[in-house]
Amino acid sequence: MKHLLRSCIMILLVCGSMPLANAQDELSPIQEVQTRLVKIFGAGGIGGLHSYSTGFIISPDGYIATVWSHVLDPDVVTVVLGNGLKLDGRIVGAEPQLHLAILKVDADDLPYFDLDDAASAGTGQRVLAFGNMYKVATGDEPVSVMQGVIAAKTRLRARRGAFEVPFDGPVYVVDAITNNPGMGGGVLTTRDGRLLAMIGKELRNAETNTWINYAIPVDELADVAHQIKSGTFRRSDTPKSRTAPPQNYRAIDFGIVLIPDVLNRTPAYIDSLLPGSDAAQQDLRPDDLLLFINGELIQSCKELEAELGRLEESDIVQLVVRRGDSLVSVELEAPEKDEP
Amino acid sequence: MPNHKPRLTILALLSSALLISVASTAAAQADGKLAVLEERALKQAAAIVAPSIVRIETVGGLERVDEILAGTGPTTGVVVSADGYIITSSFNFAAKPSSILVSLPDGRRFAARQVASDNLKMLTLIKIDAENLTPAPAAPRDSVRVGQWAIALGRTYETPFPSMSVGIVSALNRIWGKAIQTDAKVSPVNYGGPLVDIEGRVLGVLVPLSPQGKSDAAGVEWYDAGIGFAIPMSDIYDVLDQLKAEKDLHSGLLGITFQTKDLYSTPPMVDHVWYNSPAQKAGIKSGDTIVEVNGAATTRISQVRHALGNAYAGDKIALSVDRDGETIKVDFELAAKLEPYESAFLGILPERLSTVEPAEAAAPAGVGVRYVYANSPAAAAGLQRGDRITKFNDAPQNSAIELRDALSRTRPGEKAVLTFLRNGEPQTAEVELQKITAEIPADLPRSPIPLPAEKNDDSEKTGRLAETLETHAHDLWAFVPDDYNPDYQYALLVWIHPSRNTMEAEMLKRWKQICRERGVILLAPKAGTAETWTPNEIGFIKAAVESFVERYSIDPQRIVLHGFETGAALAQQLAFKERELFPALCLAGAPLAIQPPENRPDFPLQWDFVYGEDDPQGRKIEASIKALEKMRYPVSHRAVPGLGQDYPPEPAIEEVGRWIDALDRI
Repeated sequence: MKHLLRSCIMILLVCGSMPLANAQDELSPIQEVQTRLVKIFGAGGIGGLHSYSTGFIISPDGYIATVWSHVLDPDVVTVVLGNGLKLDGRIVGAEPQLHLAILKVDADDLPYFDLDDAASAGTGQRVLAFGNMYKVATGDEPVSVMQGVIAAKTRLRARRGAFEVPFDGPVYVVDAITNNPGMGGGVLTTRDGRLLAMIGKELRNAETNTWINYAIPVDELADVAHQIKSGTFRRSDTPKSRTAPPQNYRAIDFGIVLIPDVLNRTPAYIDSLLPGSDAAQQDLRPDDLLLFINGELIQSCKELEAELGRLEESDIVQLVVRRGDSLVSVELEAPEKDEP
Repeated sequence: MPNHKPRLTILALLSSALLISVASTAAAQADGKLAVLEERALKQAAAIVAPSIVRIETVGGLERVDEILAGTGPTTGVVVSADGYIITSSFNFAAKPSSILVSLPDGRRFAARQVASDNLKMLTLIKIDAENLTPAPAAPRDSVRVGQWAIALGRTYETPFPSMSVGIVSALNRIWGKAIQTDAKVSPVNYGGPLVDIEGRVLGVLVPLSPQGKSDAAGVEWYDAGIGFAIPMSDIYDVLDQLKAEKDLHSGLLGITFQTKDLYSTPPMVDHVWYNSPAQKAGIKSGDTIVEVNGAATTRISQVRHALGNAYAGDKIALSVDRDGETIKVDFELAAKLEPYESAFLGILPERLSTVEPAEAAAPAGVGVRYVYANSPAAAAGLQRGDRITKFNDAPQNSAIELRDALSRTRPGEKAVLTFLRNGEPQTAEVELQKITAEIPADLPRSPIPLPAEKNDDSEKTGRLAETLETHAHDLWAFVPDDYNPDYQYALLVWIHPSRNTMEAEMLKRWKQICRERGVILLAPKAGTAETWTPNEIGFIKAAVESFVERYSIDPQRIVLHGFETGAALAQQLAFKERELFPALCLAGAPLAIQPPENRPDFPLQWDFVYGEDDPQGRKIEASIKALEKMRYPVSHRAVPGLGQDYPPEPAIEEVGRWIDALDRI
């Protein structure tokens, strides 16, 4: 009986104490993520610009990834670790096209995210978002956590003020309001704390003109982050948007006369066709509305001319026009250009 | 057995420790499992309805809709019949696109045409030439519960799977009975898409809505705020055949106003009955109290609005009204349109009473005549300045307010009998009423402003003032005539400056003398940044006006919003939003910027336009005047020769001053 009792006690202690010990020693996934995040304080604070953001530690020796923003305007910013320790952060490098900047603080043995071990998620998956939202967390208080689902994984088509955002890669769109002041540079994780993406700046969706809640997948950032860390990174060329678009062809080169382009969004209706032209022979007609070029929707005369401008000689152009209530497909070839 | 007890205790303790730890671990595991199962169920619900969700693209159209930058991106629709009918939010076509395209989930694209719109529920039916589509299944009407999962879906993004936001059903029968409310994120990203339950049945179609707004874009400002609306799918299927038959559906109108604006604590007593409206045809009279709508008891105005808010034009309604203690039952059909309201006009300006003059004391009976309009019914009846009108159709009249109200219940063309005193002798005359004149007499005499009694220290400040409105931390300036007399009621001119220029010096120069002569206080709130006004500064302007109304003696009939150029758009927004506060609107160098609400007897609105003959906007302004006249609003206007886009010069402004002075005409 005595022996049995001792055995029972042993079993009970093993079974009962293990979870208890785990609860004391191990952090929950949420707490674990929070220890790997930092609060960043830098420039801003006037004219509606915020002077704070978030970063996430990507190496034990103090490299921190964050969003490239005006907060980083000074060379040195203040970085507050999860335990409340305040350090100077130096900007090591940045790739504005990816909205990514890398900082360095002098520290060792920091808890960190392994950029090569990021997870991925699909529409409808539950996610957590972490960040220095409205800088409500002070000192050693952990950053804020929000929950939501992935609304979509899609290409970013966004603008900041009147300017298109250069990054048009894939992003996670979230159904929670994750892109609040200070959240930029924070992270999106799975429910069990696996790193998914970096929360971006506050931007508007260029197509719907609404604020967009998005995060850039870590896969998009990892290579550049490694290169910046190792000092081998070279910035990408000037963004394409800054170079003048080519104007190789215009509608008239195909024999298409468009209606006068008087509005910002004048629909690309055909006014008339030059007799004998390729377009006339392919049975395009006046009053047809040009809708697609090579599968891309054309919303105005300007967009049509821009698309035609990019063509090269002998390129085949697939056009779809709306005639009445039906869609008609037509194929044209970019004609030879006369020598100037 | 002395040892047993402690041994048992240890065993019991250890066992319970084991149970607790196992239970908490199990709970955590169960919690995790449940979350995984829920997530799977949510995704499956979206997958079930995905074949019925289409992407809609539009080409061409307006840049802005109601001051909101119109989106150019794709929107969403829900298939409602296999032969190509698709229902979506009318918001998606508010920019009036020249072409609509639909992409099916299998990638096929079709040109679409608009078939009909449901203007009550803000939905539009479109049609493509396709067969064998998958109509969305509707969740049974009675199955929808507050608190159940609600998944908002859209096809705005270029992804094979619909975009998704997860929330719950927050409320039913919202916006006067029309909509399901959800906390899932609803915005232009998924307007027109379905809100589905966890079984993949469609609860409703997502639309922007607001309790007050009637435009396609009303409620859009609430996007992603945790308050979103969906029109119940079962309600949509109920009217689908009518929409398919190309019949536009409209809100059902009854044609009455209530005696108070308080929706929640006063009985629904009828005030005005619209001429030729369903209410008038059914014999409803001013003073009736609505006690029942379609069998449901109504003791408050809000209950009547709830009972009628979800009704279409053409719907049959059974009403019971209480008239002098007797219950009368009436049946009628709601109308889509009411004849524009138009007040009748007698043709006089009333004498303005001193505010301190106690009505019950020495005030002589009736309404004193200060001025008689030439060619008016009053002139034809021989009325003269100094006469006192004591009765209108046998009803005694003791104030200008009473007389104006009596006139508002008649129509131009009707005959009435006037009783008036001349030199103390009663006389009667029959008049044929006319429509209210927009003419401003050149010889309009000033209403005498009595000199103030001796000034004491408590008097409000006069002259040019500069203040900060503490409640809103916003600046304003004002001009109060130096001989301001609190015993006289002043007009209040609220100046909404254009972007980047408060025009303070110029306005003072133009208006100072008119303010003194015509008894006008000029109030000029300043935009937070001198750059431009933002729509949320409407609250500040309203507060500034209310503060002046409280501190100075102001005639509520003559509070005028005056905007120039870009300031005119905000002035219109404010006037339409705060109809009780602003009975008059004067636009300088600017046309209508937003669709005005209908003319109403309980919220009369008088208009004045002043602009340059050489102003490039001249044509638009003239079109605005015509549109307002068609709505039977009284509209005064003048085009200033030789003037372009500048603020009008003194002679034209002097005429605006006379218009303000005549706003209380009857």
